[in-house]
Amino acid sequence: MSNSAHRLADLHAQFHALVLPQLGALLAFARRRTASHSDAEDAVQEACVRAWTAFAELRDATKVRPWLYRILRSVLSDALARDGRRRLLVSITRLEDAHEALVAGDENALFTEVAERLSSEMVHDALATIPEDFAIAVELHDIDGFKYREIAEIVGVPIGTVMSRINRGRQLLAGAIAAGRATWAPGAQPRAAAGGQARPRTR
Amino acid sequence: MTTFRGSSETPLGDGENERAREQRHEVLAELLAAYSDQELPAEMAAQIDAHLLGCARCRGELIVQFAVRDRLAAEPTPAVPAGFSARVAAAIADLSRPVDDPSAPLPPAADPATARRRWHGLWVTWSGWAAAVVLGTLLVGQAGVLTDPGRRPWITATPPTSVAITDSIPMIDDAVANYRMIMAGDLPGRARDLAAVRAAVPFPIEPMGGSDLRLLAAWTTDIRGEPAAALAYRWGDRVIVQYVVSEQLFFRNPAVRRAVAASRTFVTARGPQSVIAWPEQVGGTLLVGDGLPEELNKVREMAGQH
Repeated sequence: MSNSAHRLADLHAQFHALVLPQLGALLAFARRRTASHSDAEDAVQEACVRAWTAFAELRDATKVRPWLYRILRSVLSDALARDGRRRLLVSITRLEDAHEALVAGDENALFTEVAERLSSEMVHDALATIPEDFAIAVELHDIDGFKYREIAEIVGVPIGTVMSRINRGRQLLAGAIAAGRATWAPGAQPRAAAGGQARPRTR
Repeated sequence: MTTFRGSSETPLGDGENERAREQRHEVLAELLAAYSDQELPAEMAAQIDAHLLGCARCRGELIVQFAVRDRLAAEPTPAVPAGFSARVAAAIADLSRPVDDPSAPLPPAADPATARRRWHGLWVTWSGWAAAVVLGTLLVGQAGVLTDPGRRPWITATPPTSVAITDSIPMIDDAVANYRMIMAGDLPGRARDLAAVRAAVPFPIEPMGGSDLRLLAAWTTDIRGEPAAALAYRWGDRVIVQYVVSEQLFFRNPAVRRAVAASRTFVTARGPQSVIAWPEQVGGTLLVGDGLPEELNKVREMAGQH
């Protein structure tokens, strides 16, 4: 085997060891912003292809996760730009009002219980009702476990912006959960929160 | 906007103190997520500790922040569908399938993704094949720019033999990042915008000539925060982009200076893209495109940049 072939084989082994264990989390992130499982799989595969072609640029293996998420975000953004669909959000004011009523009242403890009992589908529906920038920051921290500094790198914004987006994102999410609580009660048909229309997926 | 609600243990002061406390509350309330996530410096966290003692509203907000965060943190990572890992591995393996004849033209692409993958495959396999051609001329073991000391101080019809093995060069990285972004979407300008671009940058812009080159678009951008002109050309079935930058920016990096002093040209590669940089009468050009450096150098030769 030639040196170049050895080198290629080594790169393949490194790539598989670093990237393939992340597929589940990448798929979940993509699934929350695509219309179907197959769309999410296509996006993640495309991200992996791009990651492979740029693999030599990854100089620090410990940063592979934020690097992959940054690439996947780019793929998903490309898909959004290509498909040209606009997101329809629930009125921010309504979510803010619901959050304000929640915090100003005495239902904090009750809210914690309600949040704990939410199904994954309800969580995803609530996430889909808040603006994408806020949702991404919250998801990257709370679901994917990134530090604020890493989120700043992934999203390409200052860390102060990340702080603000996570703070506000959770407030809006709480508003969506509080407003949708009646709708999401056992036996009720799951719907978008706050009486609005859930954000359509990118594809 | 939130409202400060002092608790009974912190009696309200006069109007001025109340306004100051309200402003302080507004600032600290914005930091509650970072506080709950232990992302604040200790001094700032201590200020919020103190504020929470007297602010019922922020205590309530903190409960909400924790509740949302903890629920999302409990969200399970779904299992990877059966066969998906193998599908990804196969897609990657497909990119590095050996090419019997690297000079053979590619068949028409079925779709952009297929074309991109095919080209990436060529790049990966060529990288080994071409190592003897391009990298074989390098003086291994020398950091920075490696040059052929016997060559003339300009490049004629031969491929460039001074390929820079460097870490990050911000100017180059910016240009390549811009190129990749542009190639992923629509070109931002049109050819007829050249006059406007010329008027917008403080250095002369002269499009490259050559019968195989056709100017497609011109626009202004920024490289390292400084104004730059970008000219996109069609070259065969590819699009390449010429970035024209100021002299100060062009010569800022020592690796570039050394290469230009030695061979009048700086050549490097970033993944599947190559970059050839040379000084203009005023300013400098960074030519970015897909392919190997010697391929891109043909454009430079054709354009008469000797």
